[in-house]
Amino acid sequence: MKVGPWRAGPERRAWSQGAGQTPRKRDRAGAEPQLPAAPALPGGKMVARRRKRAARDPEDCIPSPPGYAAIPIKFSEKQQASHYLYVRAHGVRQGTKSTWPQKRTLFVLNVPPYCTEESLSRLLSSCGLVQSVELQEKPDLAESPKESRSKFFHPKPVPGFQVAYVVFQKPSGVSAALALKGPLLVSTESHPVKSGIHKWISDYADSVPDPEALRVEVDTFMEAYDQKIAEEEAKAKEEEGVPDEEGWVKVTRRGRRPVLPRTEAASLRVLERERRKRARKELLNFYAWQHRESKMERKPRPAHPQAPRPWPQPWMRPLARAPDSGH
Amino acid sequence: MMGPAPAGEQLCGAIGEPEVMEPALEGTGKEGKKTSSRKRTLAEPPAKGLLQPVKLSRAELYKEPTNEELNHLRETEILFHSSLLRLQVEELLKEVRLSEKKKDRIDAFLREVNQRVVRVPSVPETEEILQDKDGLNQRYFRKRALYLAHLAHHLAQDPLFGSVCFSYTNGCHLKPSLLLRPRGKDERLVTVRLHPCPPPDFFRPCRLLPTKNNVRSAWYRGQSPAGDGSPEPPTPHYNTWVLQDTALESHLQLLSTMLGSAQGLKDGVALLKVWLRQRELDKGQGGFTGFLVSMLVVFLVSTHKIHTTMSGYQVLRRVLQFLATTDLTVNGISLCLSSDPSLPALADFHQAFSVVFLDSSGRLNLCADVTASTYHQVQYEARLSMTLLDSRADDGFQLLLMTPKPMIRAFDHVLHLHPLSRLQAACHRLKLWPELQDNGGDYVSAALGPLTTLLEQGLGTRLKLLAHSRPPVPEWGISQDPPKHKDSGSLTLGLLLRPEGLTSVLELGPEADQPEAAKFRQFWGFRSELRRFQDGAIREAVVWEAASMSQKRLIPHQVVTHLLALHTDIPETCVHYVGGPLDALIQGLKQTSSTGEEALAVAVCCYDDLSRLLWGLEGLPLTVSAVQGAHPVLRYTEVFPPTPVRPASSFYEPLQERSSLLPRLDKPCPAYVEPMTVVCHLEGSGQWPQDAEAVQRVRAAFQLRLAELLTQQHGLQCRATATHTDVLKDGFVFRIRVAYQREPQILKEVQSPEGMISLRDTPASLHLERDTRQLPLLTSALHGLQQQHPAFSGVARLAKRWVRAQLLGEDFTDESLDLVAAALFLHPEPFTPPSSPQVGFLRFLYLVSTFDWKNNPLIVNLNNELTVEEQVEIRSGFLAARTQLPVMVIVTPQDRKHSVWTQDGPSAQILQQLVVLAAEALPMLEKQLMDPRGPGDIRTVFRPPLDIYDVLIRLSPRHIPRHRQAVDSPAASFCRGLLSQPGPSSLMPVLGYDPPQLYLMQLREAFGDLALFFYDQHGGEVIGVLWKPTSFQPQPFKASSTKGRMVMSRGGELVMVPNVEAILEDFAVLGEGLVQTVEARSERWTV
Repeated sequence: MKVGPWRAGPERRAWSQGAGQTPRKRDRAGAEPQLPAAPALPGGKMVARRRKRAARDPEDCIPSPPGYAAIPIKFSEKQQASHYLYVRAHGVRQGTKSTWPQKRTLFVLNVPPYCTEESLSRLLSSCGLVQSVELQEKPDLAESPKESRSKFFHPKPVPGFQVAYVVFQKPSGVSAALALKGPLLVSTESHPVKSGIHKWISDYADSVPDPEALRVEVDTFMEAYDQKIAEEEAKAKEEEGVPDEEGWVKVTRRGRRPVLPRTEAASLRVLERERRKRARKELLNFYAWQHRESKMERKPRPAHPQAPRPWPQPWMRPLARAPDSGH
Repeated sequence: MMGPAPAGEQLCGAIGEPEVMEPALEGTGKEGKKTSSRKRTLAEPPAKGLLQPVKLSRAELYKEPTNEELNHLRETEILFHSSLLRLQVEELLKEVRLSEKKKDRIDAFLREVNQRVVRVPSVPETEEILQDKDGLNQRYFRKRALYLAHLAHHLAQDPLFGSVCFSYTNGCHLKPSLLLRPRGKDERLVTVRLHPCPPPDFFRPCRLLPTKNNVRSAWYRGQSPAGDGSPEPPTPHYNTWVLQDTALESHLQLLSTMLGSAQGLKDGVALLKVWLRQRELDKGQGGFTGFLVSMLVVFLVSTHKIHTTMSGYQVLRRVLQFLATTDLTVNGISLCLSSDPSLPALADFHQAFSVVFLDSSGRLNLCADVTASTYHQVQYEARLSMTLLDSRADDGFQLLLMTPKPMIRAFDHVLHLHPLSRLQAACHRLKLWPELQDNGGDYVSAALGPLTTLLEQGLGTRLKLLAHSRPPVPEWGISQDPPKHKDSGSLTLGLLLRPEGLTSVLELGPEADQPEAAKFRQFWGFRSELRRFQDGAIREAVVWEAASMSQKRLIPHQVVTHLLALHTDIPETCVHYVGGPLDALIQGLKQTSSTGEEALAVAVCCYDDLSRLLWGLEGLPLTVSAVQGAHPVLRYTEVFPPTPVRPASSFYEPLQERSSLLPRLDKPCPAYVEPMTVVCHLEGSGQWPQDAEAVQRVRAAFQLRLAELLTQQHGLQCRATATHTDVLKDGFVFRIRVAYQREPQILKEVQSPEGMISLRDTPASLHLERDTRQLPLLTSALHGLQQQHPAFSGVARLAKRWVRAQLLGEDFTDESLDLVAAALFLHPEPFTPPSSPQVGFLRFLYLVSTFDWKNNPLIVNLNNELTVEEQVEIRSGFLAARTQLPVMVIVTPQDRKHSVWTQDGPSAQILQQLVVLAAEALPMLEKQLMDPRGPGDIRTVFRPPLDIYDVLIRLSPRHIPRHRQAVDSPAASFCRGLLSQPGPSSLMPVLGYDPPQLYLMQLREAFGDLALFFYDQHGGEVIGVLWKPTSFQPQPFKASSTKGRMVMSRGGELVMVPNVEAILEDFAVLGEGLVQTVEARSERWTV
């Protein structure tokens, strides 16, 4: 979920959706934030920067991993010890695309469970105007679904420690955030954050469903779904029996003549029937070549008779390869 | 010369053998796991103790069998059930048989003893001691004791012996024997018993017949018998004891000639002794000893029922068969072949003794001291064992010979009579003077028979079997006084109850005008009343006060105390009845008279009403095709049954527009209401969409419609969500989940790029299948089990209560524990299905602590659907797939491969912890229950050990809704906003709101990588936290695992370690209001 500046209030959703229009299509591998631990890092640039930083502020004795800055964070003033947010500018390798704007995005690790998107946005607003905050369970390995998820069908999970992508309006926000000293306080007198009993009671109140809203949502969804199905059907009907440019005719479930569904079970059944039919007709080891071949069969053969594929295909199961052993 | 020393020496061969056997047997008992015998057959047990098939090389596999092997195979085929059984039997015999080395050492010791005894100075000659009429008035026994004391005095000074002490011969207090143990390391190896015997022909046998008197009343009571010249009462037991001494040598000779040469017979006797020992039948005076069983084998050999070439297993089988089918209390047997008319008739013996088995002289009853109940118990056990052997169960051997059956675990209820001196008064009340005279004043033996007969008659149809334990035979030092009758512990009776007899509160007597009515009145005393019955008859009857199931189970307690007080003057304070002390743990706070079966039945009844409403609902687009319960309440296994909710509106924040109540901040946490899940299947239809997301939406529409219709047509308060509809009916809340049969199928469909649709199990599909298909099936099967075995509910709930009290409840699913409890009823061997929660719980602890989870699936054959062949198949499938299966595997007919209820836990460590806890709790609890002075604090075994945890989080009772369910129920707790009468509010109560559970969910989500959290959901006040040692190893920095960790510099390197101090403060922050204190208990983790 995306959230704008903490003051945003009721317009929040609409606004963050607007922000979500930035191009999001990315390569999976490239989407991963550049992790300093990765050995593929292109040179000592990062290390040098760390050294520079270390040299710049010797009084900063909070250790942080290379490339990251550590910002202490506490729930409120009452706590003695603090957790540390590890932050760095969000960057990806050359040639890969990222959802988040380069240079304006701050990548935050180790966000404590009581820290919400609103509070993080508020805490970092001192560094510059915050455009959006997104909390995620893991560093963005996969594209997160961008359409707003229904609160009825996909209830929010219980938060643990999370990672955050904070997008500032200007790049200066990121550098200001990297220099933050902290400790940041999640809950203050002016902006208390609910926890414990307070939180559970308000969560319970939120969880009591509104049947009308649910009905409206279901109806909208089903309308759209029915429309989609109707369109598909209309299209299928249109194409019914009409050969394409290569002369192939597409057969559908709704055709005049029923066809076998394209399921694995059905195809296995057909294959099995074929095999039995063939076995009935065939004379085994009758011809000399058959004899030779059956001898060959008994010898161990390489598991993959075909040329090795460039990458394994997970959907290929051994059973799907059955036909290629024919004579 | 009296008592030739060699006689004593020989004796230890037969009677001393059990003593010798003892340590060896204990050894096998301890490793009494199924593996013990199998493992040895493997050449090399593989790592981790997993059983694997033996791999033979090709050459070995196809080698021709040798002659020896062929013979062996043929023998196995003929003599044993299966080759596995043969291996098991041989292994067992190896364990109990004396090794040659030990035999030599024992022989050497015996020779030494012999020399010493012969050399004892001034041993008087027989003629000097024994005189003509010594058989009379215990004269012989007293002289015998004096003689023994003289021997003891001399032998005690000999450095050869480590200990010299007295004991009673088979518990008979007139016949002491001398126990000699060698000094040094052999002290535990052997005990030699010295039995002085008169010369075989010293007493005239005709004077020792069971009809003769040898203890004169004048001498015994100090007065002559009543002046009317009535004859002296016969003293059959006394006579037998004298005869036993004279016949000792001939018995030994008989045994050694008949059994000595045949190995199979000797093996059979050894197996039988193990069988008796595991059932505690050979204990104390009147036990069914190894000697008796050896004589029985001799009898069967002489009647050609056993052949000398038979194997040990066959001998065991034949003897059990004989015992199961022959009632020696009615038809006695005799080893005597002569037809001498001077010999007494069997009928004479039946007159005098309850069990009759005559020796070869025809004058001595070998079973003189065996009571009828002991023999019936032997018979009962033999019958059970025969069924077990005939069932060809895979683990028959294990159950027959390796599973101990202590009284407390074998009988539904036990009762202790304590102090024993009360029985003396009982003897007088029962007018048992002749018996006392016969038993030499042993009032326990004298009263035992009449007492058991009285109780058997009184308990009638409620009783399957009544058994008594005998106090063990004590030993005492030669300078001490012998123990008195009252010192010999307590008398413990075990009751095996008939579940079908437990439901009636009425003892129906004869019609008032019948002559038997007087007898009935006499038997039941003031409890007998005249009652008019519905059919118009006026009968004598006794009605017991019992309203609830648990009280009905304890009617035998009322019967026993009433009868004992009425007929034997044993007051209630001396009868310690152990039948329901554990009931307190599953009683609700307010209903101390019930263990919840009734409350569960009310809830189930309400569910039945609801399902009828659903069936008849009009206006649903698809009709309801099935309604199935899927909640522990609906299978009678919810630990604390729900009560109808009547919320007090002032306690809550009403949310009128959604007609719901909300918890309030300023009040204590409201009562916990858990909705009961009901799965509602709709008829099939082609209209359902083919897409998973769309199916969800259609289902949600059904949920909404269901709520609407139930409100419209039946005025029920409903609340619909996307996945379920909550319905408030008569104060119970049900959660109806609409299910679409094809939905799991749709979730499984995976489309390949070529457009091929294949089916793959996904977590979502498995989850759905479990919740909507398997759970309802299990619930209905267990519901059926409860109808068959009324004690099931109590056992399952006690078991769950215990596991949860040990803070392990969250690792075991409700269903898995229910299935373990069900196994106790469906596979009770070698016991019978429990009829009381107490004994069921003990067996649960035994099963959990001894079951070999690593190498065996727990097969729970619900409805008896699995055939023997299928079970074998399941076992072999299990072994093949062991590594992919969960740690704990429970197989049911509906779930033969995957063990769905244990898929998500427990982990191996948690299961191990449970096993350890059960192994500790079982002996402790059994000791408490067997304590004749009362069990003491029964909750001890339910209190968890807290010192193992690294951090303890103490919670505030104000926000624990189930606080009153705690093991140690608090004296005062908070008001939970409930009214005792139905209030005006019909708003939906607060559902499933349990702050400790919400808190735990947050903790596990946030710190699950670093720590384990343990909590008792039934009102626990403390959460135990255990740090995971592996997570505390410093790790290199990784962006994906920074959760709750901090970077530190260690020796110049940057590593990640858990930020313990901040985490401890987080514990308090996340649980604000709920957490009282966070105690970090070990310093080793503060990095």
